[in-house]
Amino acid sequence: MTTTHEERPSVGADPLSLPPQPVPDAVTAPFWAALAEGRLAMCRCEHCGLWLQPPLERCRRCAGPTRFTDVAGTGAVYSFIVQHRATVPGYLDNLPYVVALVELDEQAGLRLPARIVGIDPAEVRCGLRVRAEFTELPGGDFTVAVFRPVDGP
Amino acid sequence: MSRSLGGAAVVGIGRSPFVRSSGRTTLSMAAQAAREALADCGLTAADVDGFTCYSTGDSAGPSQVAHAIGVDDLGWSLSVLGGGNIVTSTVAGAAAAVLTGQAEVVVVYRVLGSQTRYGRALERVEVDGEGQFAGPHGYLVPPQWFAMFCRRHQYEYGSTAADLGAIAVQERDHAVRNPHAVARSPITLDDYLNSRWISEPFRLFDCCYEIDGAVAIVVTSAERAADLPHRPVHLLGAADSNRFGGSVDQWDDLSCMYSRDTAPRLWSRTGLRPADIDVACMYDCFTFTVMATFEDFGFCAKGEVGDYFRAGRATYGGDVVVNPHGGLLSEGYIHGLNHHYEAVLQLRGDAGDRQVSGAETALVTSGAGPFGGALVYGTAAA
Repeated sequence: MTTTHEERPSVGADPLSLPPQPVPDAVTAPFWAALAEGRLAMCRCEHCGLWLQPPLERCRRCAGPTRFTDVAGTGAVYSFIVQHRATVPGYLDNLPYVVALVELDEQAGLRLPARIVGIDPAEVRCGLRVRAEFTELPGGDFTVAVFRPVDGP
Repeated sequence: MSRSLGGAAVVGIGRSPFVRSSGRTTLSMAAQAAREALADCGLTAADVDGFTCYSTGDSAGPSQVAHAIGVDDLGWSLSVLGGGNIVTSTVAGAAAAVLTGQAEVVVVYRVLGSQTRYGRALERVEVDGEGQFAGPHGYLVPPQWFAMFCRRHQYEYGSTAADLGAIAVQERDHAVRNPHAVARSPITLDDYLNSRWISEPFRLFDCCYEIDGAVAIVVTSAERAADLPHRPVHLLGAADSNRFGGSVDQWDDLSCMYSRDTAPRLWSRTGLRPADIDVACMYDCFTFTVMATFEDFGFCAKGEVGDYFRAGRATYGGDVVVNPHGGLLSEGYIHGLNHHYEAVLQLRGDAGDRQVSGAETALVTSGAGPFGGALVYGTAAA
């Protein structure tokens, strides 16, 4: 999965212009493959039904086989930050931005870190209901799920 | 059964200057700290048979540093992968090596050079492992992770920016009396509140001061310690906790940290409680790390840390002196080993202008989030 920087066609002259690029492995690859198809899928034990994040080849509770399974893409903001300082490549402009731990509806404590879009950073609150949408990660190789506030429960 | 670590003691301490940018190699700084620590306790390279350090792959290793100071045949060498989370295990591991006869005199060190800065990505990043889920969203570095914890605490317990500021102001006030500290200008709460946002709810003064430098401590048996120049500082007990594979995202309750599990274990092993502690060197990569762990160790209830600090209970004349050296926030970030240096100095009674009167016990914590540990030092063996 690792490609040299020179081989990436869309890389600009500035190495700090692109956000951190994921390096999928044998276990995480289906997560990224699903996103590329516009689906959010999480790792789940086929025997006991436990959702596992980060994903594992076998269930940590029952050692059963696991499979990536689509989730509804809805959840609530468990906590969040507003990033003001230029700190991470690809995010050196367009500050501030919001990153949340989104607790997915499928299981208590099942969380994904993700950007929150479509809301003034000052309006974000813990408990805010959000829904996933998909956007291309600059660099051209990956799609990510960001979350936008939704009305209602 | 639980065997005491009290048969081991810290007998020597050393360090290099703490500076923003040293222009030196990690090997040079670590060797300086190790030499100073040995000179401090009247030992030489010929007496040393063990060396250990923790690092994130950014440091000269134990065998290199031992060689650099003239150790010819190192009998016990352990390089530990980890940061603040692993300091307790590394120091307690050195003590265990001494107590089990694997080594007689062990040097423990940590060094950080200018090529290591945890607060910011300096070059193009590719992320594997769990980081691949977070990094693409611009969520990559520790100030962001622990600001996320802090926000949840504010939501659940109503803690405030002024509460965090009380910690930052207190620690800076302590650093004023510490010539080795890198940040010695007093700050006010207004200074804190006016400092720029980093990762909201963290401001600049919530974040530790990343620097270059090295610290080394020498661990040996209490028997041998009795023949050395300084009052020995004994290990009274240690405990760690690691959950969720170290995942800062999946840790179940962001209003607390590893210390929720470590504290009862440590108090049980030592037979001590918060009221018995004279000096608390609380790992303070961020102000909120102090807040969460201070609550977890039972010094006060959830949400009361701000009041505790404002009432003067965390400084001289109060209940316990927290980070008399100024901590990682103001003395400088040597990944927590400088907390051990300070604890030893205080328990020897050699801390000069910032001496905590009659200090007999010191709690030293390390780590943040889902993993870390703590130990207690005492002037008397357990």
